[in-house]
Amino acid sequence: MFLIKKNDVLKLAQELEKSYSVYGPVVEKESGQTFLAKVDNVTDIDLNAPIPSLPPKNILFPQIEKIIGYKYDQSSKNAEIKMLVVPEAKALFGIRSCDLAGVQCLDRFFMGQEFVDDVYLEHRKKTFIVANTCTAPFAQCFCACTDSGPSAKEGYDLNLTDLGDVYLVEAGSDKGKELCEKMGLEKSDNSHLDAKVKVVDKSLDLFEEKAVENKAWISRVMNRITTGFIKPEIWEYIGDQCFECGACSFVCPSCSCFNIEDFNKQNGTTERMREWDSCSYEGYTRMAGDHNPRKPIEDRRNKRFFCKLSYSQSQKYLRPGCVGCGRCAWVCPGDIGLPNVVTYVRREITEREINE
Amino acid sequence: MSEYKVITVPEVAVIKEIKKEIEDTSTFYLEFANPEVEKNFKIKSGQFIMCTIFGAGEFAVSLPPSPENDRFHISVRNAGKVTGALHRLQVGDKVGIRGPFGNGFPFEEIKGKNVIYVAGGIGLIPLRSSIVHVLQHRNDFGRIILLYGSRSPKDLMFQYNIEEWQKIDGFETFITIDNPAPGWTGEVGFVNTLIEKAQVPVDNTVAFVCGPPIMFNSVIKDLVNRGMREENIISTLERHMKCGIGKCQHCAIGRTLVCTDGPVYTYKQIKTLGEQI
Repeated sequence: MFLIKKNDVLKLAQELEKSYSVYGPVVEKESGQTFLAKVDNVTDIDLNAPIPSLPPKNILFPQIEKIIGYKYDQSSKNAEIKMLVVPEAKALFGIRSCDLAGVQCLDRFFMGQEFVDDVYLEHRKKTFIVANTCTAPFAQCFCACTDSGPSAKEGYDLNLTDLGDVYLVEAGSDKGKELCEKMGLEKSDNSHLDAKVKVVDKSLDLFEEKAVENKAWISRVMNRITTGFIKPEIWEYIGDQCFECGACSFVCPSCSCFNIEDFNKQNGTTERMREWDSCSYEGYTRMAGDHNPRKPIEDRRNKRFFCKLSYSQSQKYLRPGCVGCGRCAWVCPGDIGLPNVVTYVRREITEREINE
Repeated sequence: MSEYKVITVPEVAVIKEIKKEIEDTSTFYLEFANPEVEKNFKIKSGQFIMCTIFGAGEFAVSLPPSPENDRFHISVRNAGKVTGALHRLQVGDKVGIRGPFGNGFPFEEIKGKNVIYVAGGIGLIPLRSSIVHVLQHRNDFGRIILLYGSRSPKDLMFQYNIEEWQKIDGFETFITIDNPAPGWTGEVGFVNTLIEKAQVPVDNTVAFVCGPPIMFNSVIKDLVNRGMREENIISTLERHMKCGIGKCQHCAIGRTLVCTDGPVYTYKQIKTLGEQI
């Protein structure tokens, strides 16, 4: 493990810039919101910026991406097809542990199942990840409930922790270690690891005072959702509040449903695009012939929370699908972000137990 | 992965022959442009492919041919934008193929049993490969019964196949149409009425059921009421599919994905998924 002076921490990004396009938290002046932006100048990166409004999902799994291109000449019957995915090498600098947990969900889902998604793999194998420990939670955070923070445990190349005048730099991969050695970083000792434990504990202690917007004690709810032991009225109540806007899927670090469509260009070629989709849309499951097995909105809402919180889905991610970032609660116009849904289900459990 | 599969970039195939089956459904015989692919592309009965119509898009389609000695083909109803574009193609035109995907029918487990096929309309298409396989291995099975229903006589699929199959010893066929039609002397009524007429056995028997959801549900109810075990009722499900490899999630039913965990399910499995069919 290594140390770097606080004033020098962006030198890591400078070093990465030589081999990667660097993405880091940048505060947008007009809105005051943080975005994980591709930076031309690494000094734009603000490691103390608030949690980014969007997760790093779009960097590894673009919202719209050309996957293949083809040209078919009707008269000569000549067909040419080629893969169009050529991602650049990217470094994610200073992402929060919740967002890293989201990336791991995507990794395990896209690369760890029966088939490996070769489009995602192309992005992922050229990615360098520098995580950043949260020394204090934000108002919307509940990563303490979903075991995804405040400090990353795995999945990073480097993990930074602010120890006051220095950053502890933990290497999680060979390429992370090589980078630190190449830069000649000072080695840390056990006292620095002890200091990190104190920082993480203090961060957890601050949840009660600072993370006031959301709480989601999910374990009991996971059991109920897995066994389907939730009254239909609860899903109807949740469904009634859904605007079917898809914002929750859009901002979720682990939501990865996509649609595929072929777009014809003026020059006679066609590009096959894959684009983010959401299970809240009615057309999501509609088949040719208009049969739709999930027509009512409550069936679709039920599905989303099943996907986030059931055991079977967690087996695919090796963790709950929710990473506790609080973005869905932030954007939902119907007030049915995941923490509220968890609250409704818990309330039902409690009421039932009182009545029984 | 030991089996050969085309995952992201489709392989080009040529339409060698088009056969009109019924009013809006035709069979397209296909051959891969690349001889290496033609040689390595092996399907299992019950699997499906993703078929690209250049300039229109891609759709999932079941595979009616038996893997053993049928020519590679798909039978498709003109049901939407992409299948409509397929129906405008002619012999010599090219399409793209990805796959084959999905689990396939469990033939080893059903050896020695009676086999009942219950199909509604074009639900006979995905069952065809299984019927051909079972008939080719006639002696491995007990009674083989096809119960087939469609809206009218002109909506009956694969009539020429059915006539061929009827020549095989012990293949029992019962066909019905929904409403009386001029010139039709056979059964009239929904396909589940045939279960009683055929004296369908329930012990040591498996039933393959495929058709529109309303038919599917009523047939299953009648089979279960007759005493058939839920794990012996097998169906192949259809869903809106985009990727075929378990990533886009459009075909999710409960905890499973039809493209990788299906499309072949037993009714016992379907019941535990907690979603409509």
